[in-house]
Amino acid sequence: MSASDVFIEPTSRGVNILKSATPILVGIALAVAIQFLLPSTVGPYYSRLVIDAGIAMILAVSLNIVNGMTGQFSIGHAGFMTIGAYTAGSITFYSSLLIWGTAAKHGSFLGSGEWMFVIACLCGGITASIAGFVVGLPSLRLRGDYLAIVTLGFGEILRVVLQQTGKVVDNAETIRNAPLTTFATVPVGGAIGFDGIPKYTTLFWVYAFLAITVIFAYRLKRSSFGRAMLSVREDEIAAQAMGINTSRQKLLAFITAAFFAGVGGGLLAHESGVIISPKDAGFQRSFDYVIMTVLGGRGSITGVMLAAILLSALPEVLRDFERYRIIIYAALLIFMMLSRPQGLFGIHEIWDFFPKSWKTLPWKKSPREEAQ
Amino acid sequence: MNQVLEHRSAGAAQQTLLEVKDLGISFGGLKAVQNFNLTLPSAGLYGLIGPNGAGKTTVFNLLTGIYQPQTGSLSLSGKNLLGCKPHEVTAAGIARTFQNIRLFPNLSILDNVRLAGQIRIRPKLLSTFLRTNGYREQEAALKAQAMDLLEIFDLQDRAEDLAQNLSYGHQRRLEIIRALATKPSVLLLDEPAAGLNPQEKLALAQSIRQIRDRFEVAILLIEHDMQLVMDICERIVVLDHGVTICEGTPQTVQNDEKVIAAYLGAIADDA
Repeated sequence: MSASDVFIEPTSRGVNILKSATPILVGIALAVAIQFLLPSTVGPYYSRLVIDAGIAMILAVSLNIVNGMTGQFSIGHAGFMTIGAYTAGSITFYSSLLIWGTAAKHGSFLGSGEWMFVIACLCGGITASIAGFVVGLPSLRLRGDYLAIVTLGFGEILRVVLQQTGKVVDNAETIRNAPLTTFATVPVGGAIGFDGIPKYTTLFWVYAFLAITVIFAYRLKRSSFGRAMLSVREDEIAAQAMGINTSRQKLLAFITAAFFAGVGGGLLAHESGVIISPKDAGFQRSFDYVIMTVLGGRGSITGVMLAAILLSALPEVLRDFERYRIIIYAALLIFMMLSRPQGLFGIHEIWDFFPKSWKTLPWKKSPREEAQ
Repeated sequence: MNQVLEHRSAGAAQQTLLEVKDLGISFGGLKAVQNFNLTLPSAGLYGLIGPNGAGKTTVFNLLTGIYQPQTGSLSLSGKNLLGCKPHEVTAAGIARTFQNIRLFPNLSILDNVRLAGQIRIRPKLLSTFLRTNGYREQEAALKAQAMDLLEIFDLQDRAEDLAQNLSYGHQRRLEIIRALATKPSVLLLDEPAAGLNPQEKLALAQSIRQIRDRFEVAILLIEHDMQLVMDICERIVVLDHGVTICEGTPQTVQNDEKVIAAYLGAIADDA
């Protein structure tokens, strides 16, 4: 009996379609559940925290594609996020003004306003991925510290450019009659930030996008693409010798990561209580996400998610310590890096730590097998 | 053992496969390789020997596109390979192993092999995300091919282990398997016997011949173990300071005065 008989199971196409669709559907169902159950249980303060954690996870998981899986050190992730945020924000803001005469929220859950917001977020992702392509180009020639400096520079340049933009025009009539030169200044608020974006971001949309991001990242990691990316991280020369077009893989990593960062940015821009501003593109925020990926473990999706939750919750938990909290935060980070330099989960996913018996549930083979 | 042992062009026994003419490269003032010539027939088993620093690995790097040759020409089955990037050379049919093992240490053994096997597929990002049936079939086929190969080399039971957890000898073996997974017509082995004990070397000599016959690849071998080289190679090229000082059958090479002076001295004394 040849190995192929053992390893390819006879499965019907219908079963496979179901297997492929289930995680996505479950993710969206969970998002609906969170949307309708969470606020009434934990109140607005914690709901807000959960939204923040969700956006942080989207950003961290997407950055993990570049930093963790492909091994390219990018510290400009907040730049991609900000591009997405400004793109999505200006689409919803100016479209709302033109269509409904006001930039206020329009329609309820899954109403027309929300769909406009979703499309805007996706557009934000697309512009961010174009930026990802441009920033990814130097990665073909640079590595390590040098690439880090280029990506850092990208975020900083973006920050300065956004500071030079024009004032927001918040009146439909003015827009209709405005000369073209008004738009040449890109009216997105300049240094004070883009105020007035309708606040569409809800738990549902954050967690629906998070589900898609995570499933995408996981399936990418387990696919030919993911193996190719991991091989670039492991040994670039050997990867080339095995026929991997390493340039293509690096660019692809930058483009996909930037796309999800852009979507995350769109969600952030529409979150209530948030005014997106040029300083969001700066290195401070980029470093937050880099810390999450390093802390979570190289390429570990679940590890990075856990790190994102911890790091977005930590400042709130430490709120009681007031002025000492930044010191405690830093000390905790140092402690964690000293005790687990490979990150929380290292190269593993969370279920690699579960006892064996859990993995052999009757309906489930080991995760690796199932990934097939 | 289906796809893996697929016979390439049957009956092309002594056809020229790899044709290298006057290949050369200098690094600044150092002429690392000059006027390197080689005509490797299909299913040939040739050796490349010479003292340390003679330029053997540089020749491999030139052949695989890691270095771009400054002079000369290079073609595989009549197809020009000059100016090709390393991954294009591999796709054209030249696979290699490395002198210092270069596996992907944090990937599983299966993934190491599967990765090399995916060279001829063009996956789509969207079908990867949706895990379409086409995607599933593609991945299943890749896995089956990789498992077949691992079974031939008796590593199938360790498929899920990380490559870094293999013993040194097994790591060397996995490098060869990984190279074979790209379905090459020419296999370049860079010191496959380095660090192996005498029994392992003997087994290696056996398996190199078997690989040549079973996978119908031409093999070019860099090796310092003279017994192994003289034993299995049909023809041998001797390099010294980047220059080919002798080329011929093991018999010819062993009795060549220049070779004895430059490299084989010790063995000649023993004999």
